[in-house]
Amino acid sequence: MNNDSNKPTPPRWATRLLQWYCSPHLLEEVEGDLSEEFDYQLQHSGLKKARLDYIRNVLGFIKPFALKRKPSSTSNSFLNMNMLKHYLIVAVRNLLRHKAFSVINIIGLALGMTCCLFIFLWIRDERSVDNFHAKADQLYNVYETVNTSNVITGSYNTTIRFTPKVDVPVADIKGSIPEVENLTFYSTGYELPWGYAETFRVGEKIHKLEGSRAGKDFFTIFSYSIIAGDKKNALKDINSIAISRKMAKMFFDTPQKAIGESIQYENKLDFVVTAVFEDIADHSSLKFDFLINIENQWLGKVEWASPKVLTTIQLKKGSDLSAVEAKINRFVQARLDKNDPRKVSLGLQPFADQYLVANFVNGKPQGGRIEYVRIFNGVAIFILIIACINFMNLATARSVKRAKEIGVRKVVGSSRGSLIRQFLGESMFLSALALMLSAAMVHLLLPTFNTFTGKHIVSPASEPTSWLILLGLMLFTGIVAGSYPALFLSSLRPVRILKGALQYSSSAIWLRKGLTIFQFSISIVLLIVTLVISQQTRYVQNIHLGYERDNILYIPIEGELKDPKNEPRNFHNYTIFKEKALSMPSILAVDRSSEAPHVMSFVVDENDGHTETANGEDAIQWEGKIKGASVGFKPMSVGFDFLKVMKLEVVEGRGFSKAFSTDSADAFMINEEAVRQMGIKDPIGKWVSAWSKKGKIIGILKDYHTHSLHEPIRPLILDVKEYEYFGVLLVRTEPGKTKEALASLEKVYKEVNPNYPLGYRFIDEEYGQLYSNEQVVTKLSNAFAMLAIIISCLGLLGLVMFSAEQRTREFGIRKVLGATLTNIVGLLSQDFLKLVFISFCIAAPLAGFFMHEWLQTFAYKIGLSWWIFVIAGATALFIALITICLQAVQSAVANPVKSLRSE
Amino acid sequence: MFVKKPLFDMASYLVIKTRTNSFSMKRTYLGEFEEIVLLIVAMLDAKAYGVLITHQIIAQTARSVRLNQVHAALHRLEEKGMITSKMGDPTPERGGRRKRFFSITTYGQHTLQDIQSVRANLWNLLPPSLKLSPGKI
Repeated sequence: MNNDSNKPTPPRWATRLLQWYCSPHLLEEVEGDLSEEFDYQLQHSGLKKARLDYIRNVLGFIKPFALKRKPSSTSNSFLNMNMLKHYLIVAVRNLLRHKAFSVINIIGLALGMTCCLFIFLWIRDERSVDNFHAKADQLYNVYETVNTSNVITGSYNTTIRFTPKVDVPVADIKGSIPEVENLTFYSTGYELPWGYAETFRVGEKIHKLEGSRAGKDFFTIFSYSIIAGDKKNALKDINSIAISRKMAKMFFDTPQKAIGESIQYENKLDFVVTAVFEDIADHSSLKFDFLINIENQWLGKVEWASPKVLTTIQLKKGSDLSAVEAKINRFVQARLDKNDPRKVSLGLQPFADQYLVANFVNGKPQGGRIEYVRIFNGVAIFILIIACINFMNLATARSVKRAKEIGVRKVVGSSRGSLIRQFLGESMFLSALALMLSAAMVHLLLPTFNTFTGKHIVSPASEPTSWLILLGLMLFTGIVAGSYPALFLSSLRPVRILKGALQYSSSAIWLRKGLTIFQFSISIVLLIVTLVISQQTRYVQNIHLGYERDNILYIPIEGELKDPKNEPRNFHNYTIFKEKALSMPSILAVDRSSEAPHVMSFVVDENDGHTETANGEDAIQWEGKIKGASVGFKPMSVGFDFLKVMKLEVVEGRGFSKAFSTDSADAFMINEEAVRQMGIKDPIGKWVSAWSKKGKIIGILKDYHTHSLHEPIRPLILDVKEYEYFGVLLVRTEPGKTKEALASLEKVYKEVNPNYPLGYRFIDEEYGQLYSNEQVVTKLSNAFAMLAIIISCLGLLGLVMFSAEQRTREFGIRKVLGATLTNIVGLLSQDFLKLVFISFCIAAPLAGFFMHEWLQTFAYKIGLSWWIFVIAGATALFIALITICLQAVQSAVANPVKSLRSE
Repeated sequence: MFVKKPLFDMASYLVIKTRTNSFSMKRTYLGEFEEIVLLIVAMLDAKAYGVLITHQIIAQTARSVRLNQVHAALHRLEEKGMITSKMGDPTPERGGRRKRFFSITTYGQHTLQDIQSVRANLWNLLPPSLKLSPGKI
């Protein structure tokens, strides 16, 4: 032993190398020869020479004859062309022999894949939004987190102090913080609460366009392409304007001609066109037809359409995000009011995320559309899995037919590995066929899908990555779908198969049943989801909002209509318009309000980080208010006929009336919710104030919805201000006479406001759009539920066919002995209906839970009533029954003579 | 009852066919080194194996050869059907590994004889001045 271990050995690595590369059938002799030679050399030439020689020999053996593996007797090579061809022929023959099965299989897989592909297209499109900017990885939005007495809110809003003058502390971080390379602001001019399309005029050409205000470096930070003019100085000047190709065409025919031209804004300001940019693509979340310098807004030259201002900064490459955040906070804190009870802190979020992550939880960006993206991702995978399960189920069920083939193959000497490869290959083949089918379907259905989702997705067929994805999908589906059948079929015992006694173990049967239950559970979940979502959408659409939303249209107050200088007031353009309009046919009532009444978004005294008044007090005060008891009011100024136009109900006191001369000076109305939250008793006649206006409460309005049903009704406070320079005109038209009313309005409007085209919108239409997201989801989940049901039914059909085939002789005997058609159908059905029932028991609570969560996003919602579940269950059961009967009846009416003679 | 056995018939047919093929083949080309190896194998008479053959070549021809060259040549010869091999018993000096013993086949012997006779013919055709006389070298 001792002697042995001290004996010099050849270098170990060389031996290892040899063992690694050398073909196993040669290894023993080669290794033996080498070690013998080594010993020989050791004795004759010494250790060093022996070792060297050994290494040279080992390296010398790296030759084809030593590397080549001995071909095994059963030719396992998958690349064996003969075998491959043979497998392919067998696969095609099998497809053609069992046409029904093949069609079910391929269609099922193709449907699943199509669905999957569409969802991937959608997700890809969603993810591509805002990702086209060249510096996307350096761009961050500044979001603010506001903590007021431990209530934390967040938004992509810029902290601004409005008093004594507009001050934007964050504006100075460029230059003060070295990591911040650049900074820009963005604020729309058309968004709620006071935005609308603004009017431009060049000569006789007048158009309304939606545009925004932005910081001067906007175009250097973002990659919107400039087609004419100077990119760097596009917004440098306070009276410069950048316009889109579309707008340039409208006014100046070509983009080049537009440069340097003057354009009149809202009949009061003149801007000089400095740049023309390409029309904004769908993949930009910022949409605008023109941009002006945001200084105009700071200085009050143009309106604050929305108090929301977005700050985007460009960081140096490789900056430490949290360090920059800390620096920005330190910098900004010093410039904020120390006595403000609202604690503001700032954070950074990648610019590209703002579209998908628009919601805030606990003051941090979290959730939003990204949730839909995640959900649909899950749905896509689920549907694909359902389709794969189908395939597994059918393939296993069909194994009776293939059993003999497998038996013979095994007897002749096929190894299990080659059988597995054969069946996996077959499923790949099927999955390739299905993929081709689904690619064609996607191609054909893409336009429909686009109208469905309101997107403009183009087929990505020209991109090589999408082909890779398709290939990946094919491999994935092939492997997932083929794995179980391959393992199962290859495990069958040849002796038993060839003797004709193919018995399935109970575990295999249970697995198939389990798979069916899984499929049906998903289908039922999707059915319930569809039912609940569409119910909720219908509820939202049909709920009585507290006002009549049909036949009201609204027009922004602009141009001559806003002019407050016309004295005396009787000749104010608004008054003139109202009188003239009311004298026209089909117009029932005209009034005004400071915000569109169905989507009010302006809230005061809310803990959002903004001070409402110069001294930091709440804007709304009332008799008996405890200090600090802020109530988030929605304030609105209206005309005398507002209640009449909207058809609102007064529950206590009276509405505004011209009969009371003081009403325009000191009358306030509040809603029931306000009474509740203010904690005020006998409110009529109590004093109340809004900013500097003080007055008394004259009436209580019945609660009505002033915004989407996602939020609960808020306290509302109304006063009369007939000559406010902003807001909207409200017109109630006679039902069924919209056309006439519009013609009348057009005429009157032209007289009063000749420089502005009439821009009207219908409140009921706009109300519908508040829920466009939900509508898309309804449509999609509808489609998915259908698909899931179809695919599951295909699977069920396969199972029933299999079962019916297995029991052909049994049925024959039963029929001979006098069984009726119903007996046999019942016999076949009950097993499968049991499965559907079990699926329902699994699916109902699951779906119930998810839908309960979803409904929580609405303040006003339907209850999850039992009948929704019953309908979903019954539908699934009914469809399953039809599927089963299709096959069951067929085997029940079959002539027993044939079936009994078949052996 | 009479049972048809087509499979068996096919198998024997195949066996016969392959054999005929290999025997009716024209003489395979034999490299110079291969010829030496084949001669050594024949000389060692069923006791030939890698190391021994190598040492014998060195001893008999005084050329320097490496083990791997010999192995490659043996491999080719076996492929050509000139030699056959079988594994011996485990040997303690090789760490319990077995040797592969090579022996020449009839076909190999024929080939060697063919070569020899062709050469002899050629020698006979040489002009007398060039002919070797025994002991001249």
